[in-house]
Amino acid sequence: MQDRDIYELLAGKLEDAELAWREAGPEAYALVPAARIHEAAIFLREDPRLSFDLLMCLSGIDWDGYDESGKGKSVDILGYNPDGTPETSDRVAAGDLGVAYHLYSYRHDHKFAMQVRLARDNATVPTVSDVWPTADWHEREAWDLLGIRFAGHHDLQRILLDEEWVGHPLRKDYQMPDRWTEVPLAGQPYSKNPFKQDNAPPAGGDDSGEG
Amino acid sequence: MVIVTDVYQKILGAGASPQVLLVLGGLTMALVMALVMAACAIVFTWMERKVAGFMQSRYGPMRVGHWHGVAQPVADMLKILQKEDIIPAEADKFFFRVAPLIIFLGSLLAWAAIPFAPGFVAADLDLGLFYIFAVSGLAVIGILMAGWASNNKWALYGAARGAAQIVSYEIPIALAAIPVVMYTGSLNMNDIVHAQQGGVAGWFLLRNPFLFLAFLIYFICSIAEVNRTPFDLPETESELVAGYHTEYTGMRFAFFFLAEYANLFLVSCIATAVFLGGWQNPVPGVNVAPGLVFVVKATVLVFLQMWMRWTLPRLRVDQLMYVCWKVMIPLSLVCVVGAGIWMMVLGQLAH
Amino acid sequence: MATDDRTPAAAGGWSETEDLPGLRSELLEINMGPQHPATHGVLRLLVKTDGEIVYEVKPYIGYLHRCAEKIAEGCDYKQWTVYTDRFDYLAPMNCNFAYVTAVERFLDFPVPERAQYIRVVCAELQRIASHLIALGTFGLDMGAWTPLLYCFREREEILNLFERLCGGRMLYNYMCVGGVRFDLPEKWREDVLEFVRWFEKNKIDDYNTLLSYNKIFIERTADVGVISVEDAHAYGCTGPVLRGSGIQWDCRRNDPYAVYSHFEFDIPYGTGEVGTPGDCWDRYMVRVREMAESCKIIRQALRGLPEGPILADEIKRVLRVPAGSCYTRTESAKGELGHFIIADGGTKPFRNKVRSPSYCNLSVIEKIGRGLMVSDLVATVGSLDIVLGEIDR
Repeated sequence: MQDRDIYELLAGKLEDAELAWREAGPEAYALVPAARIHEAAIFLREDPRLSFDLLMCLSGIDWDGYDESGKGKSVDILGYNPDGTPETSDRVAAGDLGVAYHLYSYRHDHKFAMQVRLARDNATVPTVSDVWPTADWHEREAWDLLGIRFAGHHDLQRILLDEEWVGHPLRKDYQMPDRWTEVPLAGQPYSKNPFKQDNAPPAGGDDSGEG
Repeated sequence: MVIVTDVYQKILGAGASPQVLLVLGGLTMALVMALVMAACAIVFTWMERKVAGFMQSRYGPMRVGHWHGVAQPVADMLKILQKEDIIPAEADKFFFRVAPLIIFLGSLLAWAAIPFAPGFVAADLDLGLFYIFAVSGLAVIGILMAGWASNNKWALYGAARGAAQIVSYEIPIALAAIPVVMYTGSLNMNDIVHAQQGGVAGWFLLRNPFLFLAFLIYFICSIAEVNRTPFDLPETESELVAGYHTEYTGMRFAFFFLAEYANLFLVSCIATAVFLGGWQNPVPGVNVAPGLVFVVKATVLVFLQMWMRWTLPRLRVDQLMYVCWKVMIPLSLVCVVGAGIWMMVLGQLAH
Repeated sequence: MATDDRTPAAAGGWSETEDLPGLRSELLEINMGPQHPATHGVLRLLVKTDGEIVYEVKPYIGYLHRCAEKIAEGCDYKQWTVYTDRFDYLAPMNCNFAYVTAVERFLDFPVPERAQYIRVVCAELQRIASHLIALGTFGLDMGAWTPLLYCFREREEILNLFERLCGGRMLYNYMCVGGVRFDLPEKWREDVLEFVRWFEKNKIDDYNTLLSYNKIFIERTADVGVISVEDAHAYGCTGPVLRGSGIQWDCRRNDPYAVYSHFEFDIPYGTGEVGTPGDCWDRYMVRVREMAESCKIIRQALRGLPEGPILADEIKRVLRVPAGSCYTRTESAKGELGHFIIADGGTKPFRNKVRSPSYCNLSVIEKIGRGLMVSDLVATVGSLDIVLGEIDR
């Protein structure tokens, strides 16, 4: 079944929800309101025409600073200054957070992609770990790295980072820490190019793209 | 030991009391046996590494000692002796220190009754075979001490498994040796070896099909007694880090190591003495030193054990117990009964 | 500390025998800690056991987390390829392959045929090398010391071939967006064909004789750690773990990428030959048979290797990827390795999420760990063939 048809079925099932269909690049996805995602998940798995039994990937996304025009002018992440101190920025992050679900059905051999948009100050979405148990660890990772809460998850704890870590590193406004417990993280001052004074390519170099 | 006491008698003159001679003789033989243990540990660690190397398509030690790394064990011993002796803070210090000694003792005591050559046995006991099996069980106490005193859950696991394994496998070992005793009519190790005269055909191994089965049972169960793969669950590297000797370092660890290789040789010596004719010459007529014959036969069995170690995976603990209680013990009972019937039918009962 | 909630009975009626009144018994909480010879990397398993039988397994990961996804947002698409090697460091070619395939989905020009064929050859050689380690370490967990060294001997040959190709023995950074970096060196093609012929003829039978059909090995692995099909789908298990449970599904066949649709090969799957379908033995045997299939693919690819460029001409020094988002998956040695990339039209990805197979495969241990013995737990974790670099990224 084509993913547009699956979207129609889903929209038909969730009649009063405001679904949207986005075609962005190689893959199109359905934008589902956060409150209805659990219902959508159950429908997608249980309906015999769809039977999406594999949640391939559940990713958290931080849409802050995304350049909608497609010209690549998204805001850079914060790193370290050349003198070794963490970069800071006065910019206040205001973008949405999001979760992307990619589903596959072994029975019918079709795929589907969904996304959810969440407001930054209230980033909560119902869990789908009771529908697809693999989401358990994926949601924990999204919480750990992006701070997205999954309501109803049985044990939403950090998974990759230490339990005492503060902050959610994959957010665009995350400032690099300058120390972890007593270990300084911002190390020696460095120059972006320790071998030359500027970033120009070597003279007579091959511009074929192996950069 | 008679030779040794004779030597002491000559040294001390005719007036020496028999008790003094006995004590001196015993001490000397104990020292000799301990040295033999250390020597065989050294030789067999080298042999193990070379055998392992060649089976695994590599060379093994090559550098230390110029020719195929013969001095490697010496280097290893020197290294182990100068390691820091660490005792965990929460460990039960007394038992932690004593455990390796008890394991070593369990092995050393059994060496007293092994007949290497005619007249060359430390203690010519009438209960020789019985004594050997009884004393081998002493190691269990040492293992439990080591596991408990280490204050380490993994060590405790290894010790519990080891104790269960050793205690269980003592039964088929003893049962498998009973047909031999039925043939000989005596538990004395010297008598057992003397009863196997006449070249290869005189070996107990080949006199009786039930004795052949008894040899196999004995051999397999003795591998379990000494914790070698496929029965090395108490010290599996991949599960329990190092089992009951996880927390041991330096010389204490060397004791465990020493005891393992000494045990390896010990069970091979017992099997040789009991089933393979001991120091009896397999080819009658050729004049070879009996001690050499004995050592060569035991070494072949040691090689067999090493071969098994590097080929087979290990059994899980419940499978190990299953093999012992549901396979080995019934089979060894069958051996006892069958050997007895065979001997009765053919009129070979000892008088 | 209250012992009530730690008794087996209080914890849910677990024990099959009645707790003896007056005899205090507790669950033993052990740590198969980050440093352990059998956990295949820095993995911590907190195990609660009732004697030898495991009551609960809780994996703790993150000891090898190097925030590669954050780094991806800070560096160019082409610069980030080198980080993919560090994920599954036992099969880096497959990781490279997954990433460059994911980026190329956005680009509108094709990758040269020759580059695709070379990529397939490298990926399949890498699959053989990765499975060799999986088999060897699995045998080692069972106490079979020798097969590990035999597997490493064969892996040496593959690593030598890769070293001639791109200079690295373990971390290659060979595939790049738009093609591959270097062309085949002299006589490389013939040497790979020779290796494949030697490997297929002698070595796989060696492993079968020594390990696969060994009675003790079968006793240790058959009927142990059975993953049912429902569990496999629910927990996202893919690769040999899924195929061991009986599903004949492979990304190279069912969702083809690169030039895999040009080749003929079988998909081995577990049938419960010596036990239950989905046990450790089936997963192990799937890997052994997959090595033979990889040999077939390599031979077909090298025989049909076309001439031509190895890098697309349109790849500029500065690569701008058109805006959009896409999830692309490939079949790595461990399972389905996918990248969810959100591009914004610039030189750096906006979001790059790596879906690693071992991450999902490991999560199933919480479900099937209950009721195994400690030795079986080691066997099951070994049969899942996890690599912590991939799990933690």
